[in-house]
Amino acid sequence: MTHALEDIRVVDLSGSIATAYCGKLFADYGAEVINLESANGFPTRLLEPLMPDGSSAMHAYLSTNKLSVDRTELSDRQIEKLVRNADLVLDDGSSEVPQAPLNMSVSWYGAGGPYSDFKGTDALCFALNGMLRLIGRVDGPPIIPTGYQAQISGGINAFIGSLGYILGRENGQITEPISLETSIYESMLAFTDVGAIAAYNTGIEAPRMGINRYPPTYPLGIFPCKNGWIGLTVLTPGQWHTFCDLLDMPDFSDVPLFQTSVGRLQAIDAIEPIVQERLLGFDAEELFYKGQENRIPLARVPTLEELFSVDQFVERKAFSNASVNGTNLKVPSVPFRLYTTPPNFGGRVAQLGEHTEEVL
Amino acid sequence: MKPLAGIRIIDLSMGWAGPLACRHAADLGAEVIKVESCERFDWWRSWEATPEWIEDDGAEKSTAFNMVNRNKKDITLDLEHPTGRKLLLELVATANAVVENYSGGVLPKLQLTFEDLQSVNPEIILLSMPPFGSTGPWAEFRAYGSTVEQSSGLPHQTGSADDPPTMQHVAYGDAAGGMNGAAALMVALRHQQRTGKGQFVDLSQVEGLFPLGVHGILEFAVTGKSPERRGNSSTRFISQGVYPCEGEDQWIVIQTETNDQWDTLCRITGSPEATDERIGQWTKDKDATDVMFTLQEAGIPAACTNSARTLIEDPQLNARSYWQWLERPVVGLQPNPGAPYRALNTDGFPIASPAPTLGQHNREVLQGILNRSDKELEDLEWQGIIGTRPRMPRSHTSQEE
Repeated sequence: MTHALEDIRVVDLSGSIATAYCGKLFADYGAEVINLESANGFPTRLLEPLMPDGSSAMHAYLSTNKLSVDRTELSDRQIEKLVRNADLVLDDGSSEVPQAPLNMSVSWYGAGGPYSDFKGTDALCFALNGMLRLIGRVDGPPIIPTGYQAQISGGINAFIGSLGYILGRENGQITEPISLETSIYESMLAFTDVGAIAAYNTGIEAPRMGINRYPPTYPLGIFPCKNGWIGLTVLTPGQWHTFCDLLDMPDFSDVPLFQTSVGRLQAIDAIEPIVQERLLGFDAEELFYKGQENRIPLARVPTLEELFSVDQFVERKAFSNASVNGTNLKVPSVPFRLYTTPPNFGGRVAQLGEHTEEVL
Repeated sequence: MKPLAGIRIIDLSMGWAGPLACRHAADLGAEVIKVESCERFDWWRSWEATPEWIEDDGAEKSTAFNMVNRNKKDITLDLEHPTGRKLLLELVATANAVVENYSGGVLPKLQLTFEDLQSVNPEIILLSMPPFGSTGPWAEFRAYGSTVEQSSGLPHQTGSADDPPTMQHVAYGDAAGGMNGAAALMVALRHQQRTGKGQFVDLSQVEGLFPLGVHGILEFAVTGKSPERRGNSSTRFISQGVYPCEGEDQWIVIQTETNDQWDTLCRITGSPEATDERIGQWTKDKDATDVMFTLQEAGIPAACTNSARTLIEDPQLNARSYWQWLERPVVGLQPNPGAPYRALNTDGFPIASPAPTLGQHNREVLQGILNRSDKELEDLEWQGIIGTRPRMPRSHTSQEE
């Protein structure tokens, strides 16, 4: 067995970012994933940024190693046969789908409930899951995170649930066809469930405290050094003492209030000026390595220009090439690596309808 | 039937990411046995333990711990003691997978490397979840979810150009790491199920955030330029903004994607050109939830900004029975988040059991699986190898994430 997910066939009927990312994880590990596209192609083909030949880079990232079939070339019977023979059929919950051995609908808010017909976007999921109101300046407005983060999270969760049920079918636990669904909104609650339950228990919820200020500790955030940025998270008493040594702040090390993360958070206005002043005397890169040597989780904060050349990421092939019409595009590799059955790193992106005849 | 029934996973992980990965497996029916020790308990119970905290049952009151460990069993084993290590290896011999997110160097020190695990179970899977992956110059570097986010390029895509690179204000890398860990575990289990073979699985938590920031990564890959940080304005939408509503710190997000939506927004707000100022004037005296329903019913993407407190009352989540209420020792009735996937037209998978207390299943596991007698359990407890009460750690840093 070369790939862990070989002999699994997935058909994506929708081509939303969420279903496409779910399908991408299957394709990365060797499943046969068929994009059943309309004559104009999946909506992902229109997403920016566009490459010089007009192809969507986002579609390329989501579609390496998948097959593309033009559904208008197929009769209803052929589509139904394709669906029935698939191990998994993905859709976005917007229309009726024939029953497959396993169906997974990935929709914004899930089937049912007062929001089920609401329009969905990534920003709205950040608003509803409680993250948005935490980000930004104290006097507002809250700041919207960018991109497709909610849809990608929905795709990962759809993958977990789908593959779990494929395992169940293959090991005999699941014997009947089943339809599953994933809510993108509920997927985003993975980031905020804990805060919601804590607020329920204590009646206290964290206010928006300003850019990069938030519980459960201080120092926590991204700060300027004399050149570049450093990421700080100082949590335990031991880390606080080492941090004070590193920044030559002996007077702060043993202050009783500063021995707990909550105490330091309460005293943020007393601590921050000296932390900021001291950090400006350091080279960010040197401080990062020095902190890590001393077991404090300091971080380099690479810009996007720097990201592709960070030695850690280069050595691990964290980025690989998607081949689009003969042009290579650098994309993130799959984040987890099986050593005996490794994933595909990058791969080719099919043109619309390229595999119609092959699949027929 | 549960799809992963019959699969046994040993959860050595702590904090948020590793336990969340195992929680997904437990929700899908795997038997997940969490292994802590009385001194080296999961640091998410507390990273600042004191004798008073122990006396006050603090270890059982952590919302964070209880949130990610439901549906699991919990045993204590002192892995630094030869007998504790031996018992763990006996357990590994019966398992499908082990999950860990210790700092680099901890497993070799405990003589619990992948090779050690394979020596008792050649078919075992080891999912290792270090923040930067198991190879490369940063393999042994330490990190929390926030560190992972800081390293991912994502903060350079959020906020305004005149602000520092802006974080997501939750431990973003942790939950993302947990989801990716669950995905990785499923893939390895599928290979094991088909071939009978285990393998080492290496998850880099920071690489797990690259897909979430892929929009900026691709923009740089295509154009050679970083995306501008534009605050709340967007090139993807005709309009986008966060507007004040009635009450303290109440907001509504409104976006328009099509000309029709834009025209409708102008009509509803009563202005021919719905500038941010005009929209804000229209929203500021209105209830945010009412505005959301008004605009959504007119086909315009809009959402109020929930807070941690209002999430429990969210009508969509409650209509779908997302929160499941379970009694748990020490803390009483608690809301538990449902799994984000479910069978269609159901109330979701029922949660079988709340998070276990420390060592709650010592007897069930050590007698039921490893056939130890009552007398042997008494000896183990007397030696401090097992127990059900935390003890002050000698040092509580070496096994942190």
